[in-house]
Parts: sequence; structure tokens; C-alpha cells
Amino acid sequence: MNIDAKLGLDVFKLDKEPQIVVKNEICSTVCVNRACLYVCPADLFELDDQQRIVVNWEGCLECGTCMICCEKDALEWRYPRGEFGVQYRMS
Amino acid sequence: MERVDCIVVGGGLAGLAAAYGLAAEGLEVMVLERGNYAGAKNVTGGRLYMDPIRALYPELWEEAPFERAVARESITMMGDGAHTTVEVASDRFAGAQPQSYTVLRARFDQWFADKAAEKGAMIVPNMKVDELLREGGGDGRPGRVIGIRAGGDEIGADVTIVAEGVLGMLASAAGLRAEPAARDSALGFKEVIELPAGVIEDRWRLNEGEGAAHLFMGTVTRGMLGGGFVYTNKESISVGVVVGMAAMLQQAEPVESYKLLDEFKELPQIAPLVKGGTVAEYSAHAIAEGGIARVPKLFGDGYLLAGDAAGLSLNALVTVRGMDFAIASGYHAARAVATAKKAGDTSVAGLARYERALRESFVLKDLETSRAIPRIVENPRLFMHYPRAVSKLAESVFTIGAQPSPRLAKTVWKGARRDFLSLATLKDLWSLRKM
Amino acid sequence: MSLDIVVCVKTNPDAQMIRIKNREPVLEAIPYKVGDLEKNALEAALQLRDAAGGGTIRALTVVEGDRKIRETIKEALAMGADEAVIVADPALAGADQAGIAAALAAAVAKIGACDVLLFGEGSTDNYSGQVGARVAELLGWPQIGYAKKLALAGGGIEAERSMDEMIETLAAPLPVAVTVVSEINEPRPISLMNILKAGKKPVTEWTLADLGLDAVGAQKRIVSNLAEEQDRKHVLFAGAVDEQVDAFVNALVKEGVVGR
Repeated sequence: MNIDAKLGLDVFKLDKEPQIVVKNEICSTVCVNRACLYVCPADLFELDDQQRIVVNWEGCLECGTCMICCEKDALEWRYPRGEFGVQYRMS
Repeated sequence: MERVDCIVVGGGLAGLAAAYGLAAEGLEVMVLERGNYAGAKNVTGGRLYMDPIRALYPELWEEAPFERAVARESITMMGDGAHTTVEVASDRFAGAQPQSYTVLRARFDQWFADKAAEKGAMIVPNMKVDELLREGGGDGRPGRVIGIRAGGDEIGADVTIVAEGVLGMLASAAGLRAEPAARDSALGFKEVIELPAGVIEDRWRLNEGEGAAHLFMGTVTRGMLGGGFVYTNKESISVGVVVGMAAMLQQAEPVESYKLLDEFKELPQIAPLVKGGTVAEYSAHAIAEGGIARVPKLFGDGYLLAGDAAGLSLNALVTVRGMDFAIASGYHAARAVATAKKAGDTSVAGLARYERALRESFVLKDLETSRAIPRIVENPRLFMHYPRAVSKLAESVFTIGAQPSPRLAKTVWKGARRDFLSLATLKDLWSLRKM
Repeated sequence: MSLDIVVCVKTNPDAQMIRIKNREPVLEAIPYKVGDLEKNALEAALQLRDAAGGGTIRALTVVEGDRKIRETIKEALAMGADEAVIVADPALAGADQAGIAAALAAAVAKIGACDVLLFGEGSTDNYSGQVGARVAELLGWPQIGYAKKLALAGGGIEAERSMDEMIETLAAPLPVAVTVVSEINEPRPISLMNILKAGKKPVTEWTLADLGLDAVGAQKRIVSNLAEEQDRKHVLFAGAVDEQVDAFVNALVKEGVVGR
């Protein structure tokens, strides 16, 4: 089962605004490690064809790992508004 | 400004334990939970240790929606192609008063919220708190917390109990604690896999209603701090991985974290256990692993910190705790606030009894005893060298080859000399004395 | 003018949260909430009342049992209803649309003060769309279905609804029953302050006996409620990538999925 299929099992109630915004002006200038690309347990971060980091925030599990691991403070991260975001039914 | 006696930020176990106790004392208490219900944002490995908290709200636990009483504990040290398991079963683990139960939070927290509501607490789901309101702060002092802002509305309270969870966004924005750091945090993620109760009992050799807890160290995290876990629920199992964030950042060749769980599930000793199961949910959560050294000041003018928001969790490798700390801290928060309210003093002085109570309880005592653990477990040898070495040694003991076998003692001595008799091991052993 | 409005509110399990296990929906631990269309009806009520300049809005619901209805109906009160009336009776278990309509009609009659009776066009779960019309018939009131616009006009009500390629405008005197569609408005968000206020609003609870009804016997019952079983074809394509893609596309065309 791939990671997208796993996320497909979860309930996501999408807020209008993204809950993660990547400040690529920081990523492209001072970040070497690019930890967001591998620490996210939902694998939401990827590079676009211009090597910019994009985040598919709609599948965010709200664990905060990317924010904690981002060494350059290049992520604007917040919880979605009440009622929105991932809703676990078991866990 | 509309006012209540007490606002609780977060409907997790700490917040709900606080609300339950406060409502029982007749105080007007409002719990603000950003999920669709209490538990909707919560994840446990996991299991709840009962003995530390059984006496706190004794009337509650009889009917709590536990999954299974853990009757058997196992730890597997995983090497390359060989692994060694230590299994401990005791009549006392799942006896008349089981020492721990597996739980699933969506069910458990909703039940707890209902109990708090029955006592008179007001539980408000779908409500995210945007800010802790303060007055009189400045010069690095947080001032007095006088309530919260949620959406456009401000609500005042004599005391705000901040039980917002491990990320502590509100508390750190208000200067009540530090932001979580990678060095003191781990990532936990898991799948809940549905299996019929009978299959679970057969596969794990359990009596009806009994459960198993199984931790795995070694190659599962590729030697990074952390491990794998399997907990049996009523009709599902929780299979997951915990990995230290700093360890992830230090990898020479980084692996995508989520792949660790797929690798774990494919291991020959795990695959047969999950076979035929239906994956029902995938979840992830951060874990505070900094121990007592990272526990912030737990109280101040008009506020208390409880549960994960206060860093109250403890990974001692063989036991992983957090939920019992959360419930106990909520309980003591409720008692402290009730007493402070009666005395008419919810200032720093009035609320100091909260931290005193936690110092006298198992919560801060156990964390204090384990003060050294977070730094000890940063040693990568614990997660790579030793699981491998133990498994290699055990494998050699159980191996009969084509050549004449040496005496058992010689086999053991050879293995021990190879992997365990070194200055590094002595140093590691010396550090472990503090665990 | 003062306009008294009753909004019939069905509370449903949150459909997005329901899991399917062994083809059956898992309802355990699923929160109930006021249906989305009922929120449109509530919003319409609030706007009509504002236009009238006064009046009382009551949220009316019928349930068979406990189901935390007092908590769930708070959502309607927090949105702006002034009072809630709950008809709760175990005898309502398994009631069909006719039974629910009988209970609602009797409750509306008992409430008395009702100029406009509002419904969503259907419920989020069963979506029969019958109850509004049935209640209107039982009360002997005019009814307007599927309103996408509502206004007070000439001492009565004027409504618009979409009829395929035209828009129909209807007028009716009061009292009137109206069902609304989701396009009619954007329900207002619920603020914390209003949730606090909702806790202090009056809630009346009646049983069927209070309404002079005994049983509202069901004429039909649900035998089973199963998720659709999907037949997978399990076709694997072998060969070089290009061959696989060609075979895959051909198969899709043959199935009529693409390229019709």
C-alpha cells in the first residue's frame, strides 16, 4: 500500500487556506539538508521542475515534524481552523 | 468580555482530566477542542498504564472503553537477518487489576469527554484557540493569562489550563514555554490494521480480552533512535514506528520516514502478524522526548500547563509513557485550580501548589529519576550495535554447523569478546546505570 | 411585523466520518451533527426574521432516543435559533417518513406560533425529500418545495425555484411550509460566543404522548444497508512499457471508460 493510499483512508476536511506555506526564498538560498523532503510521514513535500519545494498540505497529519525539523525556519506552519484538517476515527 | 471560571485549551487526556475534576468541584469549565470531537486529532502508540492513575478518579475506569489488558510484554532486538526476543508474561500484568490497557483515542477521548460533560463541563468541539490573552506582560515576562481568543471572540477565565498538546503553539507564542526542538522530539506514526478478535488472540496466543505489547529495536529504524511497535486492540492492531527527529536529520543517506513503517511491516517476523488485515487508518504525531530537563515552568499568573504541552512524557525504551502523565497532570491541575479559586488567589502564588503536587506525585518523580535517559538514548550504538550483537550472539548459541561445535561457554565468550568487551561498551554500560 | 418560524432539523451522523467495514457503515463513535441543508434552512429563517424585524425561531427535531440530541441541537441554537423543541420517544425507532411527518406536524400544531415552517430539501443521510411535503399536507398548509430564494411579500412569502430551464416564482400566504436547496444561502459560521449563549437558551422536550400520539408505526423497514460491491477485473498487462500502455488504453476503450 503506497503512502497516498494510506492517506486516502483518513478523513481530511479541507480548510480554505493552506496550513503550511514554504518560503522558497529561504530554501533555495540557505538550506542544504532539505529535511522536509524526507521527514514528513505523509511524504507531502516534493520538488517541482524548477527545484522549488512544494507541499501538498491537503494531506497534512498535523504532526508538526516538518516545522520542528526545518533548520532554517522556512515553513509557515499552523493548525487548520477548528473543524478542519485531519480527523482520526481510531488512532 | 464573557467569563467562565476556567478555560481548558485542548480536549485530550490532560484537558479532559482537568475538566472532569473541575466540573466535579462545581466550577464552570469550558474545554475548547479544535477537532470534530475529543480525540479526533490524537494518536497513541499505544497503551495506558493504570496503576499510576487508578486511584485518581477511581469511579471512572470500571466502564472505560479500553481495548485489551496487556498480558504479555515483548522486546525484540533486530539485527541483520537475526533477531532476539525477550518475552515477559506475568499473571499480574492482566490480572484483576490490569497494569496497562491498549487504547484507541477516538473512542477513548470521546468517552472521557462525555464523562466530563456529565459532570457539567462544557465541551466545545470544532473550536481552535488562536491566542492566549495576557495583560501586564513585557520585558520577557508573560504577564497574567486572562483568557483566550478563538475566532473573533474573546473569553475570560480566572485560570486557563493549557493542554494544547505536544507542539505547544499557543504556549510558546505567549512565552510560557520553548518551541519544540528536533533534539528533544520524536516522530511516531502508525497504521491501525483491522483483524478479527479471534485472529488476534490466535496469532498472539492470548486469552479472550487480553492483549500484547511488542517493541522492536535495531534495524527497524536503521539504527536511529527509536523503534517499532505492535499493540493489539480489540479488533485491530496498531503497528507503527517511532524515530528521533535529530537522528533523522543526521542520516548520511536520508530515508523518507514513512518508508520505515513499510519496511517494518515487510519484515519476516511482522508480515505474518499483519497478514490478511485491512489497514483502516494512518496517523502521525510528534512525541516530546526531552524528559524533565525540557519540562517548562508548569504554572504562572492565571495559567497552568498540562500533559504533552508541558512535555510530560517519558520514553524509557522498554516502557513508553505519556497518557498516564497527562491524566495525572490534569487531575492535579483541577485540584490546584479548585483550591486556588476557593482561596480567591489564582496568581502565581495561588497556583504554585500545582507544580508542588506534581513534584510529590509520580509524574515529576519518575521524570526526575529518568533525567539522564534522553541523553543516554542519543547513543546510536543502542539502536544499531547492541541489537545486532545480541542477535548475532544468540544466533551462534543456537547454531549447529558442519564442523564440530565448540563448548557453549566458548561460543558465548567469543561473541561477548567480539561485541561486548570494549571500552565503548563499558562506557555505555556506565551511562546506562542512570536509566 | 413579527414572524415566528419553526425550522425542522434532522441530526445525522457526519457522513464524511463513516467508515465501511465488511460492507456495513461503522457508526460507533461517529459524531452527529445538524444536516447541511438544515443549516441552509436555519440561515433562511434568520434572514427572514431579520427582514420581518422580529419573531421567534424554534428548531424542532424528532429522535428515537438519547443520542446526545441535547448537545447536537445546540448547533442550531448557536447558529441563532432562539429555542429548541425536541420530540424524543423510543417509539420513534425505525419510524419512516410518514411517522416522522406525523410527529413533526403534531409538534408544530402544539407549538402554535408558526408562520413559516422551514425544511432542508432532504436529509443528508436518507434524502427522501418527502417529509416537508408530508408535514404541509398534514397541517393543511400551502407548501413550496426546493426554494432557492425567499422573501416576505404582501403579507405572505415569495419564493423562487429552478425548474430546469426556467425560474419559477411562487407566492403563498402564511402559514406556509417551505423546503430549501443549498444554493439559497451560505450558512453563517458558529462563533464561540454564540455557543456560550446557546447553552442558556430554552430547550423543550416532548414525548409522543405529549403530542397526543401513541405509536407512529413504520410502514416500511430497512432490511439491509450495504456499501456497493465493486467487481475488480484484476487484469495485468505484461510486456514492454509501450506495449503495456497500449494494451491498457485498448482495454479502457473496450470497457467504454475512455474514447467513446
